[in-house]
Amino acid sequence: MSVSPEELAAFADGELAEPRRSQVAAEVAQDEALAEEVRRHTELKAMLGAHFAPVLDQAVPDHLVQTLGGGEAKVADLATARQGREAKRGIPRWGWIAGPALAASLALAVFLPRGGSGHYAGDEVAAALDGQLVATQGVVEPVKVLVSFRDRDGDYCRAFSGVAQSGIACRDETGWKLEYEGEGHSWNGTEYQMAGSGNADLLAKAQEMAAGPALDAAGEEEAKAKGWR
Amino acid sequence: MALLPRLRRFAMSLARHPADGDDLCQATIERALTKRHQWQPGTRLDSWMMKMMRNIWIDETRACSRRGETFVAEEAGMSVGGDGAQEAAVALSDIDRALRTLPDEQREAVLLVMVEGYAYKEAAEIVDCPVGTLNSRLVRGRDALLARLGETP
Repeated sequence: MSVSPEELAAFADGELAEPRRSQVAAEVAQDEALAEEVRRHTELKAMLGAHFAPVLDQAVPDHLVQTLGGGEAKVADLATARQGREAKRGIPRWGWIAGPALAASLALAVFLPRGGSGHYAGDEVAAALDGQLVATQGVVEPVKVLVSFRDRDGDYCRAFSGVAQSGIACRDETGWKLEYEGEGHSWNGTEYQMAGSGNADLLAKAQEMAAGPALDAAGEEEAKAKGWR
Repeated sequence: MALLPRLRRFAMSLARHPADGDDLCQATIERALTKRHQWQPGTRLDSWMMKMMRNIWIDETRACSRRGETFVAEEAGMSVGGDGAQEAAVALSDIDRALRTLPDEQREAVLLVMVEGYAYKEAAEIVDCPVGTLNSRLVRGRDALLARLGETP
């Protein structure tokens, strides 16, 4: 019985199925040349792994992290990206929130006590979470939905920000369970005054919780039609 | 997202230049965001994105050869680049050098299996070829690599 190089590689990578695996193992045990092949294969694998491992430990450049939050920055191709590398910092989708939030953190921050009844969203928040879509909601809403996503359990979750309360709630059989509660925002007559860096924190939290990207408009609409379940 | 460092690693190994790798990574994330509704929950997000990255890379490589090497000059001034004379200065490791000599199909097979740790079946799905083909590309790529690395003391 002879062992092909392909089979030997598959064996070394633990990809060979029984009964062939045992047969090849027996061959390798007897044949020093085959054993040497397996050893070289494994060594190369370890070497390549070690060679590229440092990339995993490097800090991911900011512009990549920003991209993850941004659907608006379209790069037609890599050449454009290259040309624009210096000038372009990417347009973060959440910039309209994070930007003002940062600015507002310098202004007078108003902290309101945490609201909500128990661990589920109250009526006002729940109504907003049930009905509002990020794409179509008004500029000024008592409770504004910031982003929707699915968590690792597959539940729909939405981050929201309102006068009395902000937070992240996930839909379960009972209602919108508050997974995370932040402070509310004051209203200065024309726009919400962010309390501290509330929304930036929320969005960071949302990104941590999310299994996959945020829902787009169509995704939200579909989720709403299904009652967020 | 926890995937980012891994996507970056694959992008860099695919693109050969760190700067191109990050651009490739960025383009992949952007495309993934616009196409996210096409992703099937329950399937592997990493495979889906790696596949997308590979497609972008192939498109881009073709576009580049049409455009000629215009971008190389532009990149050569950057400290992170690795073209021509600079390549000598930066002193690429033997491994980088050896990897560059591989045909793309062998290189990606080696990278997906040996660096990214994909099972043959998963790697084959990413590059859209039968498992047997992936297996033989891996072997050819590996043998070429070993031969190359053996040459240099």
